[in-house]
Amino acid sequence: MKQQYQWRSLVLSGIFAIISIAIVFQIFRIQSSPQAASLRDQGDSYQGEYQTIYPPRGEIYDRNGHLLAGNKTVYEVGVNMGELRNAQTIALALNVALGMDAADVINMLTQAPANQLYVYLGDHVAADKVEELQKLQDQFAAQYIGGENAPSLSGLYFRPHLSRSYPESELASNVLGFVSREDRGYYGIEEKYDDLLAGQPKLVWIPSDPNLAEQMPDVPGGSNLVLTIDREIQATVENILDTTLSATGAENGTIIVMDPKTGEILAMTSSPRLNLNEYWNFDKTYPNGTAFNRAISTQYEPGSVFKIMTMASALDTGTVAPTTSFFDPGYYEIGGAYINNWDGGAWGAQDMVGCLEHSLNVCFSWIADEVGNTNFYNYMQKFGLGHPTGIDLVGEASGRLKLPGDDDWYQVDLGTNSFGQGVAVTPIQMMMAVSAVANDGKMVVPHIVKSIVTNGRQYNTPTQIAGTPISAQTARTLTEMLAQSLERGEGVVDVPGYRLVGKTGTAQIPGPGGYLEGVTNASFVGWGPIEDPQFMVYIWLEKPQTSEWASLVAAPAFERVASRLVVLMNIPPDSIREMMAGQ
Amino acid sequence: MKIRNQKVDETIHTTRTKMDHLVLAYKEAPWRTQRKWIGLFLVGTIAVGMVAGIYLNVTSKAALAGREIQELEADISDTQRNNADLETELAELLSTENLLARAEEVGFVPASPEEVVFMSIPGYFPPAPAVMSASNVSRHSAALDPRFSQSLFGWFDDQMQKAATR
Repeated sequence: MKQQYQWRSLVLSGIFAIISIAIVFQIFRIQSSPQAASLRDQGDSYQGEYQTIYPPRGEIYDRNGHLLAGNKTVYEVGVNMGELRNAQTIALALNVALGMDAADVINMLTQAPANQLYVYLGDHVAADKVEELQKLQDQFAAQYIGGENAPSLSGLYFRPHLSRSYPESELASNVLGFVSREDRGYYGIEEKYDDLLAGQPKLVWIPSDPNLAEQMPDVPGGSNLVLTIDREIQATVENILDTTLSATGAENGTIIVMDPKTGEILAMTSSPRLNLNEYWNFDKTYPNGTAFNRAISTQYEPGSVFKIMTMASALDTGTVAPTTSFFDPGYYEIGGAYINNWDGGAWGAQDMVGCLEHSLNVCFSWIADEVGNTNFYNYMQKFGLGHPTGIDLVGEASGRLKLPGDDDWYQVDLGTNSFGQGVAVTPIQMMMAVSAVANDGKMVVPHIVKSIVTNGRQYNTPTQIAGTPISAQTARTLTEMLAQSLERGEGVVDVPGYRLVGKTGTAQIPGPGGYLEGVTNASFVGWGPIEDPQFMVYIWLEKPQTSEWASLVAAPAFERVASRLVVLMNIPPDSIREMMAGQ
Repeated sequence: MKIRNQKVDETIHTTRTKMDHLVLAYKEAPWRTQRKWIGLFLVGTIAVGMVAGIYLNVTSKAALAGREIQELEADISDTQRNNADLETELAELLSTENLLARAEEVGFVPASPEEVVFMSIPGYFPPAPAVMSASNVSRHSAALDPRFSQSLFGWFDDQMQKAATR
């Protein structure tokens, strides 16, 4: 009996020993098999995953802290293949809710490789759509339990993340630019400051084992930007541009409002504008390479607004004084060509204010000739013409200023350049150049970003002086001359209680075979109040239909802008300011 | 001679017997030995059990803390997204387009320069420019003192840098 038990126990021990040896052998065999590496990788894949943490894109505010560009939650939609039960239901639901092609969805789900754990179906789905789908998912889960072909949205997965959103839609769209679904900024501020706004993504290991979980590393968000733009002024200016375009029938238009002392752009708009929340309509809005922001990207012959620079150079060199007289015979010969006035007439004896008042091409050709090639072009270069201003926006054009010695420069160009023909500028270049006149000779660099907020610190951008092309005395004299010419002349601008400065510019448009007939570019540059300039406005209307003259289409627009600016900027009338200054 | 040898043998035998008895008297009883081994085994088992228990306890606490960290991280992300959503939603509600529409609804019209009355108010300061610096402070910088995350070498490096910049 005792021996029998001994045998039994021996047999059992033997079996267990063999099993143990087999297990140990199998462990070593598996670990040294050819599949060992892939099995190890498979095991590692369950340990966790590397995730790229994208910081939230920095926000953009106007100068008073109103949000112009923020972020909103959107969802990536995909399917966890391990939980997928009914591809047809998912395809149908996504077709109804998101307009996705059901056949495409079924193909993606049924033809996914066997080892694929997750199938990406789409991104940037709005929160309300996701809510609808989640409700449906819950409803199916509660209603149909089990059953192979039962409707089910099991496996449908929504991953939230932030995406760019523009609460003001179209407002300041030419300045802001937009962000694509790939989180890349295009145009305007979004492209210029893309790196700063986007921040630095970080690759982080996220372990599945909670024992290994650690506090996520700090991924600082992108920097916030505070713009110099004033939302109220921007909205007003856009509204005025729209009504002016529709009233004048102009093809396109641009309005810029700048603080002439600091170069801060208070408003900048040009047509067309884009609803930034629907940037995929870009091609429809800007067909055939239309400029996104004409204020900085489109160069044109400005016409008589350029006379401000010609007169500035003549006054600064001492070539003329306000009282210098000139007899206008109706033509001026220069470089073998004759220059005529805008009306073809002869205006007789004029002083320099009269020349400005009547915008006489003949007089200005004479002035430029008197100033001389070297001086004239030196001044034009000091005014920054022919070079980008350096404004902090993407896509600025440099304009073109032909210089003596260039292959295509002729002596007659001195005459035509004096009244803004044969020279190409952008509206922002003109603003910068004229700022010297409004700002006691100091020319300011226009800029859009007022401050950058990074990691809780706000860095304010300083005012940059681009140069002092003319003396303070010249600037004051010219300002007074322009104010007088505006008051004495066409009487086109009248904002009661405020003395303003301005100059119209009507320019023919060059075509392939010379200047085009019957179409013009109408411009106006003006600022005020004269004693303490707080705003400078540039208006450019392309091919206005109701009148070809800037005094009839651009000047009224300036008057409307100035009338609103004095209210929005809380600028008291001259009399009150003088009274307050005297106290 | 033979008789003498016999006596010696007897003496030896007697001595041996006495020794055996003495050894037997002092030898541990088998059941005592068995109990001792069982006791030792139990002590070992309890010790291993305690170590395992402590390890399990610590591990489970660490796992719970880890899970909590993961949940809190998810909460932080959710809250940040909610904040962004709410901020954008508020900005949409207060957009110029909406405000203008509401102002027009209640009968407001834009004021012309002639309608504006300016008053001199001593001590009035116009609104200051936007200060946004507080809105973007790193979430960790305020929450976690460097003392809780800095290594000894990190602290030493920091001190050296501070001393160098003084």
